[in-house]
Amino acid sequence: MTQMMSRVMSRARSRPQPRTLLVLLACAAACVAPLVLPDLTFFMRMVMAAIVVTGLSILMGYSGQASLGQGAFVAAGALTVAVGTTRFDLPPLLALLAAPAVAAGFAALVGVPLLRLHGHYLAFGTLALLLMVQTAMSTFDVLGGALGVSGIPPLGVGDRVVVGQLPYVYLALGCLGLVLLVSHRTVHSRFGRGIQALAGSQTAAESAGVPVNRSKVVIFALSAGFAGLAGALSAFFTPYVSPDSFPAAESFTFVIMAVVGGLGTIWGGVVGAVIVSVLLQVLNTISSQPGLPPTAAPIMQYATYGTLLVLALLFMPRGVVPSVDAGVGRLLTRPRVEVPG
Amino acid sequence: MLHITDLVVRYGSAVALDGVSLEVGRGEMVALVGPNGAGKSTLINTVSGMLEPASGSVVVEGTVAQVPEGRQMFPDMSVEDNLLLGGWSIRNRQLDEVFDLLPDLAGMRRRKAGRLSGGQQQMVAIGRALMARPDLLAIDELSLGLAPIVVDELAEHLRYLNAERGTAVLLVEQEVTLAFRLCARACVLEAGRVVVTGPSSELAESDAVRKAYFGDLAELADVEVSR
Amino acid sequence: MSEFITYLVTGIALGSSFALIGSGFVVVHRVTRVVNFAQGSLAVLGAMLSASLLAGRLPHVVGEMVTVVVCGLVGVLVGVVAIGKRGTPPLISLIVTLGVSMLFSAAIIWLWGQDPVSPPGLDGFTTILGAEVERQRLLVLVVTLVAFAGLSLFFSRTYLGKALTASASNPFAARLVGIDVRRMGLVAFGLSGVLGGLAGVLVAPSNALSFYSDLPMALGGFAAAVFGGLVSPLRTLVGGLGLGVAGQLTAGYLNGSYQTEVALLLMMVIMIARSRSFAHEEAK
Repeated sequence: MTQMMSRVMSRARSRPQPRTLLVLLACAAACVAPLVLPDLTFFMRMVMAAIVVTGLSILMGYSGQASLGQGAFVAAGALTVAVGTTRFDLPPLLALLAAPAVAAGFAALVGVPLLRLHGHYLAFGTLALLLMVQTAMSTFDVLGGALGVSGIPPLGVGDRVVVGQLPYVYLALGCLGLVLLVSHRTVHSRFGRGIQALAGSQTAAESAGVPVNRSKVVIFALSAGFAGLAGALSAFFTPYVSPDSFPAAESFTFVIMAVVGGLGTIWGGVVGAVIVSVLLQVLNTISSQPGLPPTAAPIMQYATYGTLLVLALLFMPRGVVPSVDAGVGRLLTRPRVEVPG
Repeated sequence: MLHITDLVVRYGSAVALDGVSLEVGRGEMVALVGPNGAGKSTLINTVSGMLEPASGSVVVEGTVAQVPEGRQMFPDMSVEDNLLLGGWSIRNRQLDEVFDLLPDLAGMRRRKAGRLSGGQQQMVAIGRALMARPDLLAIDELSLGLAPIVVDELAEHLRYLNAERGTAVLLVEQEVTLAFRLCARACVLEAGRVVVTGPSSELAESDAVRKAYFGDLAELADVEVSR
Repeated sequence: MSEFITYLVTGIALGSSFALIGSGFVVVHRVTRVVNFAQGSLAVLGAMLSASLLAGRLPHVVGEMVTVVVCGLVGVLVGVVAIGKRGTPPLISLIVTLGVSMLFSAAIIWLWGQDPVSPPGLDGFTTILGAEVERQRLLVLVVTLVAFAGLSLFFSRTYLGKALTASASNPFAARLVGIDVRRMGLVAFGLSGVLGGLAGVLVAPSNALSFYSDLPMALGGFAAAVFGGLVSPLRTLVGGLGLGVAGQLTAGYLNGSYQTEVALLLMMVIMIARSRSFAHEEAK
């Protein structure tokens, strides 16, 4: 870790880039924001979305397949915590650690057959999975039934437990940092170069000896693991998990965030999550003004989602991050990390 | 009737054709020969409008139809439907004319194109191109993967077609002897450029052609030896 | 027995709408490789529009026909947005159509509100083997069968239909003979709009639809299309009817709320069980 830090530092010193500065600035802002913001719930939801979307962005960018039901894995993570702590007396910390693994395993199970198919079976398969997870949750009492699971204990070790919202927000920020780091390491590892070839041409990657299907499953499981982590955090933050906690619309929002930010980029997830979350918050404020009909809110939300998706995809198909990156890159050396060989 | 002037075609940053000029007269048969990757298929595809030139011009007085490499059938459709679709761009579609020129096709009109032999498919491909009543037939690899006896038959049809209808032919062909036998004039391409153009009889003797086909001849020799 | 007949007919009627929507998926996917997520929204649009037109004193049949034609035109518009830009990869087109379906939701709430709408259909009941059956549900089946027969004739007998089939089976060769494959894609989108609109017009008199119905309709249709490997309209019909009946029997004999889940579960099972053969088919 320290080794890595020093490497990053040395690179930064030898080539001071606005990109590095931007990242440091963003980190600083993220650390200060929870102290000054009046509404921590909004901020927390945004950070959790960023965690989910970071994984989704890599999945869509590299495997060329979309997941329209990433909420299924958020649910898997949340349920691991909710059911694990309330029914099986799992220590909260252990439940938090187990959640990403459960979600990733769940994804691998479904992903192995579905990812072998082309034609976006995965998109509909995951959406179907989400709806079935919702039904399972409301049907089986073990998973909370129609009433949901409440009484999830706060996170802590032994007698020392977390109090208030703030620690969870910082925990989520830490998790986001971890997720970004894992994504960065994955994309720039040997495996990552394989999946980069996959993004270019599946046939070419195949002939270069990249195990295409296995790589896709690994990315899918990784993205589900991130989603599971976000789900676990949300279960601690709002200690109540019900079938309604994971609407399909939220999963679509994840896709929108990924697309807006830029598919297959490390920072795309974060940027997309921030832009879309803030936009939605603004819209919420506008549409709840007195005098507007009650349908104004859904109309505005759907219209914004739709317009955002269509315009972003047709006119900025690579997303905000790569577009801005390309603009900055013209002034500087490409900030892309070198690929040896 | 085909005038190609300083044609440049690129795939991304790679230059496939680099300043090619070529003329094909009305009713003329011209062979296009050269090693793999010389740009023959690119030239054919540009002539038939499948590729856009980066610069230079391709002017055709009349219509072009292409017989593509690999024959490119609509495999699940009948021979008749394959032929009919060949006439997509014209109003007056006449199957009978094509059946007159290629009588074998009439007998297999109800069969699925994907079930035919390679030679039969090549005939369908030629027939499909003829449906558009082309003034120029651009053929990409007539003999590839076909038995010599089938190739001879196809060549005979082409010669007949040329004589009867006056259809000009631009023929890409690996089999140089066939190409020179069929076409009075030939053009040798190499690395995206025209090396030499002239009467086939002269080119058959030329060093440029020997050089271009040295590899192929050597391969043939190898085959002979291994037998 | 009469209970069973009722469930069967209800299931077949619902399955017919899945089959119509599913064949819309198939038609578009075959030609463009795009999965059109807005397919369910077109059915909802059909339901809303026919309700308004019929209330606005257009007579039956005319009102429905106008609706279907308008849905076809809207389908072409969806296609223009989804594949109009050259070089848009199918994944991006899928998400564009997801965006379009959201725009549909906004428009539908704006124009028709959030409540479910049910246009008038065929009134009255018929007795089959002792069971009282809504005549509208029988109409759904008949129209669906006619639509599929028409679709089949269109693809096998008409020149435009053959050109669509050709564009699907070998786009390169289609371009070679002068077929504008992208325009064929738009034709396919238009056709899918017609099929979606038809589904909405037919199903809404017995099952009211709201802006919220687009997702279940799209999923049901996609599940039916999966039976046909996203390429075969006929197997989509069989799949849709099977899904509808299975869902209704489950709802009738077990629990009403699991109807959609049964369909989705069947879809997943088929996707997973046949993943090998599908991949093989697509590779061909």
